[in-house]
Amino acid sequence: MPQWLVNRWTIVPLLFSALVLAWNGYVAINDGGLIEGRVVDGIGRPVPDATVILFDRSFVMHNERQRSRTDEAGRFRFTGNDNHSLQLEAQTAGLGRSERREVRLWFRAQNVTLADPLRFTGRLP
Amino acid sequence: MTTMRRRGTYLRHAALVGVSAIMLVPFYWVLKTAVTNENIYAYPPRLLPERPHLFNFVDVWYFIPFPRYLLNSVIVSAIVVACNIAFNAMAGYALTKNFPGKRAVLLLFLSCMLIPFQATIIPAYLITSKLGLLNSYVGLAFPLLSTIVCIFVFKAAFEAVPHSLVDAARIDGLSEWRIIVRVLMPLSKAAIATNVVLAFIWSWNAFLWPLIITREPTMQTLPLGLARFLSYLEDTTGALYAFAVMVLAPSIFVFLMAQREFIRGLTSGATKG
Repeated sequence: MPQWLVNRWTIVPLLFSALVLAWNGYVAINDGGLIEGRVVDGIGRPVPDATVILFDRSFVMHNERQRSRTDEAGRFRFTGNDNHSLQLEAQTAGLGRSERREVRLWFRAQNVTLADPLRFTGRLP
Repeated sequence: MTTMRRRGTYLRHAALVGVSAIMLVPFYWVLKTAVTNENIYAYPPRLLPERPHLFNFVDVWYFIPFPRYLLNSVIVSAIVVACNIAFNAMAGYALTKNFPGKRAVLLLFLSCMLIPFQATIIPAYLITSKLGLLNSYVGLAFPLLSTIVCIFVFKAAFEAVPHSLVDAARIDGLSEWRIIVRVLMPLSKAAIATNVVLAFIWSWNAFLWPLIITREPTMQTLPLGLARFLSYLEDTTGALYAFAVMVLAPSIFVFLMAQREFIRGLTSGATKG
């Protein structure tokens, strides 16, 4: 093998380039802008027909970007997100507002499914 | 005797490790703040980061045109490094020869090292402007295309090569250019590494010159981006420190890659008789 190839000045940049390519490949197949999650009440029951608001960050402010409604199982879904720093909040007439959840993404428009549901403090009747 | 010597070595190493740790504290603090959002003025200060995360780096990447600044800095540094190796090697080789006025040239070089760049920035700006290089990559690299310190590094390295080798190459029919490229440069890897490291760090960290000659935000380099970022997001300490880490990382990386040759290149002239 030629000496110029077995050299840290070749190996390290090549490894670095491979990492960058791999990361960009991962980003390319996961940047659909899809955000999914669930909304539950204080004892973990799904909250149907709640409004979920998506705020995205621009420098120091968070501005409302989209709204969605939960289905019978309390699931919600946003499409077309193009930011990397978000906040989510659920609202419903009977339960008021949930805590506002900060969602940080590793890249813009990353597809994400929230592991923990948005939670109201009160209970559904 | 051996035990005493070993104990002395241990003590010396322990002292060196202690001093190194103290010198690394500011770097650790920058890194710690970059992976948290802690207030750097908090009292009592925390030694270990609490709930560390890397999202400050993501913020830096997206809130300002970081990839553009990075590209500009990489292009300018590449121009500076390539030109430094070429021009300094030529100048260094010329200074190993005897020619009329050599002492005057050496004195001129040494005296020019005493003049701070800030004192010559207006003429440098006017020359760059006359050449039509304002707001261009070559213009950004212009004052660092050749540096006197690095010329002397090459001079010392070339003088360390036996004259008989250069004479033999000349008898074999090599031109002066090919003597530099084929004979002297391969024997001066330490000098090349020193040139690469110094030229890269100087161009990477340059602030005043890019500030003066750039006209558009798209031509700005990372240090200017850092200043711009500070004006945008003055309350986000974590992101600011993350930016500082991202600006510092490439130069530290280049230094670590070329460390061995760099130290050898700097000290080779010092031990020459």
